[in-house]
Amino acid sequence: MLNLLRIEWMKFKNYRTFWILVGIIVLAIPGVNYAVYSIVSAVNSKDKSPGAPILNLFGFPDGWHTVCYVSSMLFIMQAILIITLTTNEFTFKTHRQNIIDGWSRSAFISVKFAEVFLLSVLSTLTVLLTVLAFGYLAGTGEAHVSVWQGSRFLFFYFVQVISYSMIAFVIAVLIKRSGLAIGLFLIYMIVEQVVMGIITNLLKLPAGQYLPEESTDRLIPFPGLHLMSQLEWEHRIPGYLTAAAIYLIIYCVVTGRYFLKSDL
Amino acid sequence: MSSILSIRSVTKFYGRIRALNQVSFEVPPGSVFGVLGPNGSGKTTLLGIVMDVLKATDGTYSWFGEPPSEKQRARIGTLLETPNFYHYLSGERNLRIAAAIKGRGMEDIPRVLEMVRLTERKDSKFSTYSLGMKQRLAIGSCMLGNPSVLVFDEPTNGLDPAGIAETRDTIRHLASEGKTIVLASHLLDEVEKVCTHVAILQRGELLMAGDVREVLMNEDMVELGVPAGLEGRLQEALTAWPGVRQVRRRDGLMEVFFQQGIVPDTGELNRFCFEKGVVLNHLQLRKRSLESKFMEITKEINQ
Repeated sequence: MLNLLRIEWMKFKNYRTFWILVGIIVLAIPGVNYAVYSIVSAVNSKDKSPGAPILNLFGFPDGWHTVCYVSSMLFIMQAILIITLTTNEFTFKTHRQNIIDGWSRSAFISVKFAEVFLLSVLSTLTVLLTVLAFGYLAGTGEAHVSVWQGSRFLFFYFVQVISYSMIAFVIAVLIKRSGLAIGLFLIYMIVEQVVMGIITNLLKLPAGQYLPEESTDRLIPFPGLHLMSQLEWEHRIPGYLTAAAIYLIIYCVVTGRYFLKSDL
Repeated sequence: MSSILSIRSVTKFYGRIRALNQVSFEVPPGSVFGVLGPNGSGKTTLLGIVMDVLKATDGTYSWFGEPPSEKQRARIGTLLETPNFYHYLSGERNLRIAAAIKGRGMEDIPRVLEMVRLTERKDSKFSTYSLGMKQRLAIGSCMLGNPSVLVFDEPTNGLDPAGIAETRDTIRHLASEGKTIVLASHLLDEVEKVCTHVAILQRGELLMAGDVREVLMNEDMVELGVPAGLEGRLQEALTAWPGVRQVRRRDGLMEVFFQQGIVPDTGELNRFCFEKGVVLNHLQLRKRSLESKFMEITKEINQ
Protein backbone atom coordinates (compact mmCIF):
# COMPACT_ATOMS: atom_id res chain seq x y z
CA MET A 1 0.00 0.00 0.00
CA LEU A 2 2.89 2.37 0.74
CA ASN A 3 4.20 1.90 -2.77
CA LEU A 4 0.74 2.60 -4.21
CA LEU A 5 0.48 5.76 -2.11
CA ARG A 6 3.96 6.82 -3.24
CA ILE A 7 2.77 6.62 -6.86
CA GLU A 8 -0.41 8.54 -6.00
CA TRP A 9 1.79 11.20 -4.44
CA MET A 10 3.71 11.44 -7.73
CA LYS A 11 0.39 12.25 -9.40
CA PHE A 12 -0.53 15.05 -6.98
CA LYS A 13 2.64 16.68 -5.81
CA ASN A 14 2.97 18.81 -8.94
CA TYR A 15 -0.76 19.39 -9.37
CA ARG A 16 -1.55 23.02 -8.59
CA THR A 17 -5.30 22.48 -8.08
CA PHE A 18 -4.52 19.85 -5.42
CA TRP A 19 -2.39 22.29 -3.43
CA ILE A 20 -4.90 25.12 -3.82
CA LEU A 21 -7.76 22.98 -2.51
CA VAL A 22 -5.68 21.48 0.32
CA GLY A 23 -4.51 25.01 1.17
CA ILE A 24 -8.08 26.27 1.25
CA ILE A 25 -9.15 23.42 3.55
CA VAL A 26 -6.20 23.85 5.92
CA LEU A 27 -6.59 27.64 6.06
CA ALA A 28 -10.37 27.82 5.97
CA ILE A 29 -10.84 25.62 9.04
CA PRO A 30 -9.00 28.01 11.41
CA GLY A 31 -10.22 30.97 9.35
CA VAL A 32 -13.94 30.24 9.71
CA ASN A 33 -13.45 29.38 13.37
CA TYR A 34 -11.66 32.66 13.90
CA ALA A 35 -14.58 34.51 12.36
CA VAL A 36 -17.03 32.80 14.74
CA TYR A 37 -14.62 33.30 17.66
CA SER A 38 -14.48 37.05 16.89
CA ILE A 39 -18.27 37.29 16.86
CA VAL A 40 -18.57 35.39 20.16
CA SER A 41 -15.88 37.60 21.73
CA ALA A 42 -17.68 40.72 20.49
CA VAL A 43 -20.96 39.50 22.00
CA ASN A 44 -19.24 38.73 25.30
CA SER A 45 -17.53 42.12 25.52
CA LYS A 46 -20.70 44.02 24.54
CA ASP A 47 -23.18 42.41 26.90
CA LYS A 48 -21.69 43.13 30.32
CA SER A 49 -24.98 43.46 32.13
CA PRO A 50 -25.11 41.65 35.49
CA GLY A 51 -26.31 38.09 35.09
CA ALA A 52 -25.61 37.91 31.37
CA PRO A 53 -24.11 34.49 30.47
CA ILE A 54 -20.51 34.47 29.39
CA LEU A 55 -20.16 32.43 26.21
CA ASN A 56 -16.90 30.50 26.32
CA LEU A 57 -17.67 28.38 23.29
CA PHE A 58 -14.02 28.08 22.23
CA GLY A 59 -12.50 27.35 25.64
CA PHE A 60 -12.08 23.84 27.00
CA PRO A 61 -14.12 21.66 27.08
CA ASP A 62 -16.74 23.29 24.76
CA GLY A 63 -14.13 24.24 22.16
CA TRP A 64 -14.00 20.66 20.87
CA HIS A 65 -17.70 20.75 20.14
CA THR A 66 -17.75 24.28 18.71
CA VAL A 67 -14.71 23.96 16.44
CA CYS A 68 -15.85 20.57 15.11
CA TYR A 69 -19.32 21.95 14.39
CA VAL A 70 -18.05 25.11 12.68
CA SER A 71 -15.44 23.16 10.67
CA SER A 72 -18.04 20.69 9.43
CA MET A 73 -19.52 23.49 7.34
CA LEU A 74 -16.45 23.20 5.08
CA PHE A 75 -17.06 19.61 3.95
CA ILE A 76 -17.95 20.87 0.51
CA MET A 77 -14.28 21.83 -0.03
CA GLN A 78 -13.16 18.33 0.91
CA ALA A 79 -15.82 16.90 -1.42
CA ILE A 80 -14.63 19.09 -4.32
CA LEU A 81 -11.03 17.96 -3.73
CA ILE A 82 -11.95 14.27 -3.73
CA ILE A 83 -14.24 14.59 -6.74
CA THR A 84 -11.54 16.48 -8.67
CA LEU A 85 -8.79 13.97 -7.91
CA THR A 86 -11.01 11.00 -8.71
CA THR A 87 -12.69 12.28 -11.87
CA ASN A 88 -9.30 13.41 -13.26
CA GLU A 89 -8.46 9.73 -13.65
CA PHE A 90 -11.60 9.14 -15.69
CA THR A 91 -11.23 12.34 -17.72
CA PHE A 92 -7.64 11.55 -18.71
CA LYS A 93 -8.44 7.80 -18.91
CA THR A 94 -5.42 7.24 -16.69
CA HIS A 95 -7.43 4.75 -14.64
CA ARG A 96 -7.28 2.51 -17.70
CA GLN A 97 -3.60 3.22 -18.24
CA ASN A 98 -2.74 2.45 -14.60
CA ILE A 99 -4.38 -0.97 -15.01
CA ILE A 100 -2.72 -1.55 -18.39
CA ASP A 101 0.66 -0.61 -16.94
CA GLY A 102 0.40 -3.18 -14.18
CA TRP A 103 -1.92 -2.21 -11.34
CA SER A 104 -4.72 -4.57 -10.45
CA ARG A 105 -8.20 -3.09 -10.35
CA SER A 106 -8.33 -3.78 -6.62
CA ALA A 107 -5.02 -1.94 -6.09
CA PHE A 108 -6.41 1.10 -7.91
CA ILE A 109 -9.62 1.29 -5.92
CA SER A 110 -7.87 0.48 -2.62
CA VAL A 111 -5.41 3.33 -2.97
CA LYS A 112 -8.31 5.68 -3.70
CA PHE A 113 -9.99 4.55 -0.45
CA ALA A 114 -6.69 5.18 1.33
CA GLU A 115 -6.56 8.66 -0.18
CA VAL A 116 -10.04 9.50 1.11
CA PHE A 117 -8.98 8.22 4.53
CA LEU A 118 -5.75 10.24 4.58
CA LEU A 119 -7.42 13.45 3.41
CA SER A 120 -10.00 12.96 6.17
CA VAL A 121 -7.16 12.48 8.67
CA LEU A 122 -5.51 15.68 7.39
CA SER A 123 -8.74 17.60 7.84
CA THR A 124 -9.18 16.12 11.33
CA LEU A 125 -5.63 17.04 12.33
CA THR A 126 -6.25 20.60 11.18
CA VAL A 127 -9.35 20.67 13.37
CA LEU A 128 -7.32 19.28 16.29
CA LEU A 129 -4.73 22.04 15.98
CA THR A 130 -7.51 24.62 15.64
CA VAL A 131 -9.24 23.33 18.78
CA LEU A 132 -6.00 23.48 20.76
CA ALA A 133 -5.06 26.94 19.48
CA PHE A 134 -8.46 28.49 20.21
CA GLY A 135 -8.75 26.55 23.46
CA TYR A 136 -5.58 28.04 24.82
CA LEU A 137 -6.60 31.44 23.45
CA ALA A 138 -10.02 31.35 25.12
CA GLY A 139 -8.88 29.50 28.25
CA THR A 140 -10.93 27.14 30.39
CA GLY A 141 -11.92 29.42 33.19
CA GLU A 142 -11.91 26.33 35.34
CA ALA A 143 -8.65 24.89 36.60
CA HIS A 144 -9.87 21.33 36.92
CA VAL A 145 -11.01 20.94 33.30
CA SER A 146 -8.75 18.66 31.28
CA VAL A 147 -7.69 19.81 27.84
CA TRP A 148 -8.89 16.50 26.40
CA GLN A 149 -12.32 16.60 27.98
CA GLY A 150 -14.78 16.72 25.08
CA SER A 151 -12.25 15.41 22.58
CA ARG A 152 -14.69 12.70 21.46
CA PHE A 153 -16.12 15.39 19.17
CA LEU A 154 -12.91 15.16 17.19
CA PHE A 155 -13.68 11.48 16.56
CA PHE A 156 -17.24 12.43 15.59
CA TYR A 157 -15.78 15.02 13.22
CA PHE A 158 -13.58 12.35 11.63
CA VAL A 159 -16.59 10.04 11.18
CA GLN A 160 -18.52 12.91 9.64
CA VAL A 161 -15.77 14.07 7.28
CA ILE A 162 -14.95 10.56 6.05
CA SER A 163 -18.67 9.88 5.49
CA TYR A 164 -19.14 13.04 3.42
CA SER A 165 -15.88 12.29 1.57
CA MET A 166 -17.01 8.78 0.72
CA ILE A 167 -20.36 10.06 -0.56
CA ALA A 168 -18.39 12.42 -2.83
CA PHE A 169 -16.15 9.51 -3.87
CA VAL A 170 -19.09 7.24 -4.71
CA ILE A 171 -20.65 10.00 -6.84
CA ALA A 172 -17.30 10.68 -8.55
CA VAL A 173 -16.76 7.00 -9.42
CA LEU A 174 -20.29 6.54 -10.73
CA ILE A 175 -20.66 9.88 -12.57
CA LYS A 176 -17.02 10.28 -13.74
CA ARG A 177 -17.37 13.97 -14.70
CA SER A 178 -16.21 16.54 -12.17
CA GLY A 179 -18.75 19.33 -12.77
CA LEU A 180 -21.68 16.96 -12.82
CA ALA A 181 -20.42 15.08 -9.74
CA ILE A 182 -19.96 18.29 -7.71
CA GLY A 183 -23.43 19.44 -8.75
CA LEU A 184 -24.94 16.10 -7.81
CA PHE A 185 -23.17 16.14 -4.44
CA LEU A 186 -24.70 19.55 -3.65
CA ILE A 187 -28.13 18.46 -4.86
CA TYR A 188 -27.88 15.33 -2.70
CA MET A 189 -27.15 17.46 0.38
CA ILE A 190 -30.37 19.41 -0.24
CA VAL A 191 -32.47 16.40 -1.24
CA GLU A 192 -31.47 14.51 1.90
CA GLN A 193 -32.57 17.41 4.08
CA VAL A 194 -35.95 17.50 2.29
CA VAL A 195 -36.36 13.72 2.63
CA MET A 196 -35.33 13.92 6.28
CA GLY A 197 -37.89 16.66 6.86
CA ILE A 198 -40.65 14.61 5.24
CA ILE A 199 -39.81 11.44 7.19
CA THR A 200 -39.36 13.20 10.54
CA ASN A 201 -42.00 15.94 10.45
CA LEU A 202 -44.69 14.65 8.14
CA LEU A 203 -44.50 10.91 8.65
CA LYS A 204 -43.34 11.29 12.28
CA LEU A 205 -40.89 8.43 11.86
CA PRO A 206 -37.50 8.28 13.64
CA ALA A 207 -35.80 6.83 10.53
CA GLY A 208 -35.04 10.29 9.13
CA GLN A 209 -32.19 10.82 11.56
CA TYR A 210 -30.41 7.73 10.21
CA LEU A 211 -30.06 8.95 6.64
CA PRO A 212 -26.44 8.93 5.33
CA GLU A 213 -25.53 12.55 6.04
CA GLU A 214 -28.04 13.23 8.78
CA SER A 215 -26.78 10.37 10.98
CA THR A 216 -23.29 11.90 11.07
CA ASP A 217 -24.60 15.49 11.27
CA ARG A 218 -26.38 14.53 14.49
CA LEU A 219 -23.12 13.36 16.04
CA ILE A 220 -22.20 17.05 16.28
CA PRO A 221 -25.39 18.99 17.04
CA PHE A 222 -25.60 22.78 17.18
CA PRO A 223 -23.40 23.84 20.15
CA GLY A 224 -25.29 24.74 23.33
CA LEU A 225 -28.75 23.75 22.21
CA HIS A 226 -28.20 20.06 22.62
CA LEU A 227 -27.81 20.49 26.36
CA MET A 228 -31.57 20.48 26.72
CA SER A 229 -31.75 16.97 25.35
CA GLN A 230 -28.24 15.93 26.30
CA LEU A 231 -29.30 12.56 27.68
CA GLU A 232 -31.37 11.67 24.67
CA TRP A 233 -28.52 12.62 22.37
CA GLU A 234 -26.02 10.58 24.41
CA HIS A 235 -28.38 7.66 24.16
CA ARG A 236 -28.52 7.87 20.36
CA ILE A 237 -24.79 8.20 19.67
CA PRO A 238 -24.22 4.42 19.26
CA GLY A 239 -27.06 4.32 16.74
CA TYR A 240 -25.59 7.20 14.72
CA LEU A 241 -22.13 5.62 14.76
CA THR A 242 -23.53 2.24 13.72
CA ALA A 243 -25.47 3.85 10.85
CA ALA A 244 -22.30 5.70 9.74
CA ALA A 245 -20.29 2.47 9.83
CA ILE A 246 -22.92 0.60 7.80
CA TYR A 247 -23.02 3.38 5.21
CA LEU A 248 -19.21 3.41 4.96
CA ILE A 249 -19.22 -0.34 4.30
CA ILE A 250 -21.94 0.14 1.66
CA TYR A 251 -19.92 2.92 -0.05
CA CYS A 252 -16.83 0.69 -0.18
CA VAL A 253 -18.74 -2.34 -1.45
CA VAL A 254 -20.62 -0.35 -4.11
CA THR A 255 -17.55 1.42 -5.52
CA GLY A 256 -15.32 -1.64 -5.13
CA ARG A 257 -17.70 -3.98 -6.94
CA TYR A 258 -18.43 -1.41 -9.62
CA PHE A 259 -14.74 -0.84 -10.35
CA LEU A 260 -13.81 -4.51 -10.22
CA LYS A 261 -16.61 -5.75 -12.45
CA SER A 262 -17.34 -3.04 -15.00
CA ASP A 263 -15.70 -2.00 -18.25
CA LEU A 264 -13.27 0.84 -17.64
CA MET B 1 7.72 -22.42 -25.80
CA SER B 2 3.98 -21.96 -25.42
CA SER B 3 2.11 -19.06 -26.99
CA ILE B 4 2.72 -15.56 -25.68
CA LEU B 5 -0.97 -14.82 -25.85
CA SER B 6 -3.70 -17.38 -26.15
CA ILE B 7 -7.28 -16.23 -26.75
CA ARG B 8 -10.02 -18.83 -26.39
CA SER B 9 -13.62 -18.26 -27.49
CA VAL B 10 -13.76 -14.66 -26.32
CA THR B 11 -17.19 -13.11 -26.72
CA LYS B 12 -18.17 -9.60 -25.76
CA PHE B 13 -21.58 -7.97 -25.69
CA TYR B 14 -22.23 -4.25 -25.20
CA GLY B 15 -25.85 -4.50 -24.18
CA ARG B 16 -27.47 -6.29 -27.11
CA ILE B 17 -24.64 -5.47 -29.50
CA ARG B 18 -22.22 -8.33 -30.02
CA ALA B 19 -18.75 -6.79 -30.39
CA LEU B 20 -16.83 -10.10 -30.44
CA ASN B 21 -18.06 -13.59 -31.19
CA GLN B 22 -16.11 -16.67 -30.08
CA VAL B 23 -12.73 -15.26 -31.11
CA SER B 24 -9.80 -17.65 -30.64
CA PHE B 25 -6.19 -17.46 -31.78
CA GLU B 26 -2.64 -17.86 -30.54
CA VAL B 27 0.20 -15.36 -30.74
CA PRO B 28 3.47 -17.29 -31.14
CA PRO B 29 6.68 -16.06 -29.49
CA GLY B 30 8.77 -13.72 -31.63
CA SER B 31 5.96 -12.96 -34.06
CA VAL B 32 4.68 -9.60 -35.24
CA PHE B 33 1.01 -10.39 -35.00
CA GLY B 34 -1.34 -8.11 -36.88
CA VAL B 35 -4.93 -7.86 -35.72
CA LEU B 36 -6.60 -6.55 -38.78
CA GLY B 37 -10.02 -5.20 -39.46
CA PRO B 38 -12.00 -2.11 -40.35
CA ASN B 39 -13.09 0.42 -37.73
CA GLY B 40 -15.62 -1.18 -35.42
CA SER B 41 -14.49 -4.74 -36.11
CA GLY B 42 -13.62 -5.36 -32.45
CA LYS B 43 -9.82 -4.97 -32.47
CA THR B 44 -9.63 -2.48 -29.59
CA THR B 45 -12.30 -4.37 -27.65
CA LEU B 46 -10.23 -7.54 -27.96
CA LEU B 47 -7.04 -5.83 -26.80
CA GLY B 48 -8.98 -4.07 -24.01
CA ILE B 49 -10.11 -7.47 -22.76
CA VAL B 50 -6.63 -9.00 -22.70
CA MET B 51 -5.41 -5.88 -20.87
CA ASP B 52 -8.24 -6.19 -18.28
CA VAL B 53 -9.79 -2.80 -18.93
CA LEU B 54 -12.82 -4.53 -20.46
CA LYS B 55 -14.54 -7.64 -19.18
CA ALA B 56 -15.30 -10.45 -21.62
CA THR B 57 -18.87 -11.72 -21.56
CA ASP B 58 -17.53 -15.20 -22.21
CA GLY B 59 -14.27 -16.95 -23.01
CA THR B 60 -10.78 -16.86 -21.53
CA TYR B 61 -7.28 -15.75 -22.37
CA SER B 62 -3.81 -16.32 -20.98
CA TRP B 63 -0.49 -14.53 -21.19
CA PHE B 64 2.75 -16.54 -21.21
CA GLY B 65 0.71 -19.71 -20.67
CA GLU B 66 -0.55 -18.50 -17.29
CA PRO B 67 -3.88 -17.11 -16.09
CA PRO B 68 -4.02 -13.32 -16.52
CA SER B 69 -2.67 -11.10 -13.76
CA GLU B 70 -1.37 -7.57 -13.25
CA LYS B 71 2.21 -8.88 -13.00
CA GLN B 72 2.03 -10.05 -16.60
CA ARG B 73 0.65 -6.69 -17.76
CA ALA B 74 3.60 -4.95 -16.09
CA ARG B 75 5.90 -7.04 -18.32
CA ILE B 76 4.14 -5.90 -21.50
CA GLY B 77 4.47 -2.50 -23.17
CA THR B 78 0.99 -1.47 -24.23
CA LEU B 79 -0.41 1.42 -26.21
CA LEU B 80 -4.17 1.04 -26.29
CA GLU B 81 -6.26 3.46 -28.35
CA THR B 82 -5.24 6.98 -27.33
CA PRO B 83 -2.26 8.05 -25.19
CA ASN B 84 -3.52 8.33 -21.61
CA PHE B 85 -1.44 10.64 -19.44
CA TYR B 86 -1.92 13.26 -16.73
CA HIS B 87 -2.37 16.48 -18.70
CA TYR B 88 -1.02 18.72 -15.96
CA LEU B 89 2.26 16.81 -15.61
CA SER B 90 5.33 16.96 -17.84
CA GLY B 91 6.19 14.13 -20.22
CA GLU B 92 8.99 12.97 -17.96
CA ARG B 93 6.87 12.98 -14.80
CA ASN B 94 4.24 10.95 -16.63
CA LEU B 95 6.89 8.42 -17.59
CA ARG B 96 8.04 8.29 -13.95
CA ILE B 97 4.52 7.29 -12.90
CA ALA B 98 4.33 4.64 -15.65
CA ALA B 99 7.75 3.28 -14.68
CA ALA B 100 6.79 3.14 -11.01
CA ILE B 101 3.56 1.25 -11.79
CA LYS B 102 5.44 -1.18 -14.02
CA GLY B 103 7.97 -1.68 -11.24
CA ARG B 104 10.79 -0.47 -13.47
CA GLY B 105 13.61 1.81 -12.46
CA MET B 106 13.71 5.48 -13.41
CA GLU B 107 17.10 5.11 -15.11
CA ASP B 108 15.48 3.97 -18.36
CA ILE B 109 13.51 7.20 -18.82
CA PRO B 110 16.25 9.25 -20.57
CA ARG B 111 16.77 6.40 -23.06
CA VAL B 112 13.11 6.18 -24.07
CA LEU B 113 12.76 9.98 -24.22
CA GLU B 114 15.71 10.05 -26.60
CA MET B 115 14.26 7.15 -28.57
CA VAL B 116 10.99 9.00 -29.21
CA ARG B 117 12.75 12.36 -29.68
CA LEU B 118 11.15 14.09 -26.71
CA THR B 119 14.24 14.84 -24.62
CA GLU B 120 14.01 18.55 -25.35
CA ARG B 121 10.33 18.68 -24.45
CA LYS B 122 10.52 16.36 -21.44
CA ASP B 123 9.75 19.16 -19.00
CA SER B 124 6.77 20.52 -20.96
CA LYS B 125 3.29 19.68 -19.77
CA PHE B 126 1.62 16.83 -21.62
CA SER B 127 -1.29 19.17 -22.44
CA THR B 128 1.08 21.29 -24.57
CA TYR B 129 2.17 18.34 -26.74
CA SER B 130 0.97 17.93 -30.32
CA LEU B 131 -0.99 14.79 -31.23
CA GLY B 132 2.14 13.23 -32.72
CA MET B 133 4.20 14.03 -29.60
CA LYS B 134 1.53 12.49 -27.39
CA GLN B 135 1.59 9.35 -29.49
CA ARG B 136 5.39 9.24 -29.35
CA LEU B 137 5.34 9.63 -25.58
CA ALA B 138 2.91 6.71 -25.39
CA ILE B 139 5.22 4.60 -27.55
CA GLY B 140 8.11 5.65 -25.31
CA SER B 141 6.15 4.60 -22.25
CA CYS B 142 5.66 1.17 -23.83
CA MET B 143 9.42 0.83 -24.22
CA LEU B 144 10.16 1.43 -20.53
CA GLY B 145 12.19 -1.45 -19.17
CA ASN B 146 12.67 -2.88 -22.67
CA PRO B 147 9.77 -5.38 -22.49
CA SER B 148 9.87 -8.55 -24.56
CA VAL B 149 6.20 -8.23 -25.54
CA LEU B 150 4.54 -5.14 -26.97
CA VAL B 151 0.91 -4.43 -27.78
CA PHE B 152 0.20 -1.54 -30.13
CA ASP B 153 -3.29 -0.43 -31.03
CA GLU B 154 -3.19 1.85 -34.09
CA PRO B 155 0.33 3.08 -33.23
CA THR B 156 0.58 5.42 -36.20
CA ASN B 157 -2.59 7.34 -35.36
CA GLY B 158 -1.94 11.06 -35.41
CA LEU B 159 1.58 10.73 -36.76
CA ASP B 160 2.81 12.56 -39.84
CA PRO B 161 4.24 10.51 -42.77
CA ALA B 162 7.75 10.72 -41.32
CA GLY B 163 6.44 9.60 -37.93
CA ILE B 164 4.54 6.72 -39.55
CA ALA B 165 7.65 5.52 -41.37
CA GLU B 166 9.68 5.93 -38.19
CA THR B 167 7.17 3.91 -36.16
CA ARG B 168 7.23 1.15 -38.74
CA ASP B 169 11.01 1.10 -38.62
CA THR B 170 10.86 0.96 -34.83
CA ILE B 171 8.44 -1.98 -34.97
CA ARG B 172 10.64 -3.79 -37.50
CA HIS B 173 13.69 -3.08 -35.34
CA LEU B 174 11.92 -4.39 -32.24
CA ALA B 175 10.82 -7.48 -34.15
CA SER B 176 14.39 -8.08 -35.30
CA GLU B 177 15.39 -8.13 -31.63
CA GLY B 178 13.09 -11.11 -31.17
CA LYS B 179 10.30 -9.24 -29.40
CA THR B 180 6.73 -10.36 -29.81
CA ILE B 181 4.49 -7.59 -31.08
CA VAL B 182 0.71 -7.55 -31.28
CA LEU B 183 -0.31 -4.81 -33.68
CA ALA B 184 -3.92 -3.83 -34.24
CA SER B 185 -4.61 -1.67 -37.23
CA HIS B 186 -7.23 -0.83 -39.77
CA LEU B 187 -4.44 0.13 -42.16
CA LEU B 188 -3.91 -3.07 -44.13
CA ASP B 189 -0.84 -1.70 -45.79
CA GLU B 190 0.72 -1.05 -42.37
CA VAL B 191 0.12 -4.61 -41.21
CA GLU B 192 1.29 -6.09 -44.48
CA LYS B 193 4.60 -4.28 -44.27
CA VAL B 194 5.59 -5.42 -40.81
CA CYS B 195 3.60 -8.50 -39.74
CA THR B 196 4.59 -12.15 -39.74
CA HIS B 197 1.16 -13.33 -38.58
CA VAL B 198 -2.29 -11.94 -38.99
CA ALA B 199 -5.81 -12.32 -37.62
CA ILE B 200 -8.61 -10.77 -39.62
CA LEU B 201 -11.65 -9.52 -37.78
CA GLN B 202 -14.88 -8.24 -39.18
CA ARG B 203 -17.87 -7.19 -37.10
CA GLY B 204 -16.51 -9.18 -34.17
CA GLU B 205 -16.02 -12.38 -36.14
CA LEU B 206 -12.59 -13.88 -36.66
CA LEU B 207 -12.41 -14.57 -40.38
CA MET B 208 -8.92 -15.96 -40.59
CA ALA B 209 -5.76 -16.22 -38.51
CA GLY B 210 -2.28 -17.53 -39.12
CA ASP B 211 1.07 -16.97 -40.77
CA VAL B 212 0.93 -14.10 -43.24
CA ARG B 213 2.54 -16.35 -45.92
CA GLU B 214 -0.19 -18.91 -45.41
CA VAL B 215 -2.98 -16.38 -45.41
CA LEU B 216 -1.57 -14.82 -48.56
CA MET B 217 -0.48 -18.14 -50.09
CA ASN B 218 -0.94 -18.43 -53.85
CA GLU B 219 -1.62 -14.79 -54.15
CA ASP B 220 1.15 -14.20 -56.69
CA MET B 221 -0.01 -12.30 -59.71
CA VAL B 222 1.74 -11.41 -62.95
CA GLU B 223 1.25 -8.00 -64.47
CA LEU B 224 1.72 -7.73 -68.24
CA GLY B 225 1.96 -4.72 -70.49
CA VAL B 226 1.13 -5.22 -74.17
CA PRO B 227 0.94 -2.92 -77.19
CA ALA B 228 -2.47 -1.42 -77.82
CA GLY B 229 -4.83 -3.59 -79.82
CA LEU B 230 -3.29 -6.89 -78.80
CA GLU B 231 -4.94 -7.24 -75.41
CA GLY B 232 -7.84 -9.33 -76.65
CA ARG B 233 -5.64 -11.80 -78.46
CA LEU B 234 -3.32 -12.19 -75.51
CA GLN B 235 -6.14 -12.54 -73.00
CA GLU B 236 -7.60 -15.37 -75.05
CA ALA B 237 -4.26 -17.09 -75.37
CA LEU B 238 -3.38 -16.72 -71.68
CA THR B 239 -6.56 -18.40 -70.59
CA ALA B 240 -5.12 -21.59 -72.07
CA TRP B 241 -1.87 -21.27 -70.07
CA PRO B 242 -1.64 -24.14 -67.53
CA GLY B 243 -2.80 -23.09 -64.05
CA VAL B 244 -4.20 -19.67 -65.00
CA ARG B 245 -7.32 -18.93 -62.99
CA GLN B 246 -8.21 -15.48 -64.17
CA VAL B 247 -7.01 -12.83 -66.59
CA ARG B 248 -8.31 -9.31 -66.28
CA ARG B 249 -7.51 -5.86 -67.61
CA ARG B 250 -6.76 -3.06 -65.21
CA ASP B 251 -5.34 0.42 -65.73
CA GLY B 252 -3.99 -0.43 -69.19
CA LEU B 253 -2.26 -3.57 -67.91
CA MET B 254 -3.29 -7.21 -67.79
CA GLU B 255 -3.35 -9.06 -64.49
CA VAL B 256 -2.92 -12.83 -64.55
CA PHE B 257 -3.97 -14.86 -61.49
CA PHE B 258 -3.02 -18.50 -60.92
CA GLN B 259 -4.61 -21.51 -59.30
CA GLN B 260 -3.56 -22.60 -55.84
CA GLY B 261 -0.08 -24.13 -55.67
CA ILE B 262 1.02 -22.85 -59.08
CA VAL B 263 4.15 -20.73 -59.04
CA PRO B 264 4.32 -18.78 -62.31
CA ASP B 265 7.53 -18.91 -64.29
CA THR B 266 7.83 -15.43 -65.77
CA GLY B 267 10.48 -16.51 -68.32
CA GLU B 268 8.18 -19.21 -69.70
CA LEU B 269 5.30 -16.78 -69.75
CA ASN B 270 7.34 -14.26 -71.73
CA ARG B 271 8.33 -16.92 -74.21
CA PHE B 272 4.69 -18.06 -74.52
CA CYS B 273 3.54 -14.53 -75.29
CA PHE B 274 6.30 -14.07 -77.84
CA GLU B 275 5.30 -17.34 -79.54
CA LYS B 276 1.78 -16.00 -79.70
CA GLY B 277 3.13 -12.97 -81.56
CA VAL B 278 2.88 -10.54 -78.66
CA VAL B 279 6.00 -8.71 -77.53
CA LEU B 280 5.51 -7.62 -73.93
CA ASN B 281 6.54 -4.12 -72.92
CA HIS B 282 6.01 -4.83 -69.20
CA LEU B 283 6.21 -7.98 -67.11
CA GLN B 284 6.24 -8.04 -63.33
CA LEU B 285 5.55 -10.66 -60.69
CA ARG B 286 3.54 -9.09 -57.88
CA LYS B 287 2.56 -10.30 -54.45
CA ARG B 288 -1.09 -9.65 -54.04
CA SER B 289 -1.77 -6.98 -51.47
CA LEU B 290 -3.32 -7.86 -48.14
CA GLU B 291 -5.93 -5.28 -48.95
CA SER B 292 -7.23 -7.19 -51.94
CA LYS B 293 -7.07 -10.42 -49.97
CA PHE B 294 -8.96 -8.80 -47.11
CA MET B 295 -11.63 -7.54 -49.48
CA GLU B 296 -11.93 -11.02 -50.97
CA ILE B 297 -12.22 -12.75 -47.58
CA THR B 298 -14.80 -10.33 -46.24
CA LYS B 299 -16.74 -10.57 -49.49
CA GLU B 300 -16.75 -14.38 -49.37
CA ILE B 301 -17.96 -14.37 -45.78
CA ASN B 302 -20.70 -11.86 -46.52
CA GLN B 303 -22.05 -13.78 -49.51
